[in-house]
Amino acid sequence: MTHARTKLALAASTAILCALPHAAHATGVTAGTLIENTASATYESGAGPQTVDSNTVTVTVDELLDVAIATQDAGAVPISGGGTVLTFEVTNTGNGPEAFDLTADPAVTGNDFDATVDAIAVDTNGNGTYDPGIDTILGAGDSTPVLAPDEALTVFVIVSPPAGISDGDTSQVNLLAEAATGTGTPGTVFTGAGESGVDAVVGSSSADADTNGALLASLATVALAKSAVIADPFGGSEAVPGAVVTYTLVATVQGSGSITNLRITDIIPTGTTYAAGTLTLDAASLTDADDSDEGKASAAGIDVLVGTGTAGTDYTVTFDVTID
Amino acid sequence: MNKVAHIFKGLFSVASLCAAILIAAPAAHAQSAVALDGKVKVERTETVDGEQRTVLAEPTSVVPGDKLLFTTAYRNTSAEPVENFIVTNPLPRAVMLAEADDSFEVSVDGGASFGPLAGMMIADGEAGDRPAKPEDVTHIRWTLPLIQPGEEGVLEYHAIVR
Repeated sequence: MTHARTKLALAASTAILCALPHAAHATGVTAGTLIENTASATYESGAGPQTVDSNTVTVTVDELLDVAIATQDAGAVPISGGGTVLTFEVTNTGNGPEAFDLTADPAVTGNDFDATVDAIAVDTNGNGTYDPGIDTILGAGDSTPVLAPDEALTVFVIVSPPAGISDGDTSQVNLLAEAATGTGTPGTVFTGAGESGVDAVVGSSSADADTNGALLASLATVALAKSAVIADPFGGSEAVPGAVVTYTLVATVQGSGSITNLRITDIIPTGTTYAAGTLTLDAASLTDADDSDEGKASAAGIDVLVGTGTAGTDYTVTFDVTID
Repeated sequence: MNKVAHIFKGLFSVASLCAAILIAAPAAHAQSAVALDGKVKVERTETVDGEQRTVLAEPTSVVPGDKLLFTTAYRNTSAEPVENFIVTNPLPRAVMLAEADDSFEVSVDGGASFGPLAGMMIADGEAGDRPAKPEDVTHIRWTLPLIQPGEEGVLEYHAIVR
């Protein structure tokens, strides 16, 4: 029975060997693979047909250190008052498991402004989107988790803008990935530093790779213009008691992006009286009461909460007063 | 039970085939008229005084893409001529043949048939057959009609680590 089991095990291992693909990895056979070569000969001599095998020569495949990096953003990422996230992908193009050191440099030649790098995080949950509190932020001196050969990791660079940037300003942030084992000119050998104690050899990428992520300042600003039209009781435009003054307030959102909580307020000038029910926003009437619509008005003044203002759009508020 | 026994029988034949190959090696080593001596080197390109040249080095720090030179030296150590001397070398899975060579025949079907690489076809799954390439080679074979007593030589092939 023991005998039979041994044969079973032998047969099973034969089957597994036969199933091995020729080239398992795009980046080459994995570190630690043994290359074993044996030649065998058959021949005829005076003693009849003979066979002979050569000795087996063995070469151990060492670890190749290579890395690639690419931005995952479709274009320049808008940055405004708050921070934003640049997304990159780091791929282990070597043939052994390797961790990578990441360095983000916000000072790239040609920048209109240099962002502040707040953190570098790895996409722990693998959804391609930065999730604060879930995706692990790499501390100073931390490497990425170990990546298997051919494995790609999404990483995030969280940046915030400096003060004083203008709409349309551009900036780039450079992210550098370096094999944790070491970098250098291709061919540099780190003896015994590879997987399972094999040598580690720097590949054609020099075991480092860097690329830029782009930022575009996307800042909206508001300009407010006020004008007045007087209609006197006699069909003219004299500012006489009883004349109606229509005030027009135009808020123009400029730049790009949007602004939130756009609010237009004005006071009723001394010597005039608010004409009830005349408040409008973009030609739509608003009630004077403090209710569900955007505006409210009283003897003291008007108050219109537009909300989100989109760049390139005008928001027009009008109201009438009567000269006392 | 019957079924199990049947499977065992099937496995036994595979196992015994392997066993036969394994046993053949040491048995033939004992008193062979020809000695085979395998060696491997890695080919490195060195730049000396601005000139590039290829040197053979001990196979350390070998990584995918490196070019290896496998050599098998033979020598007829007997007093009799040896005829129909055929050396078969299965390619290790982790390497691919660098280039075909007139000095040997190749097999792209696991050693079942041999011939020149040019003209060999290989099934590519979808569109039928395609011409075989060096990376398809599974075995190489040298044939020497006659080796005189004391005659020696070296058989070699170049391979690239996959």
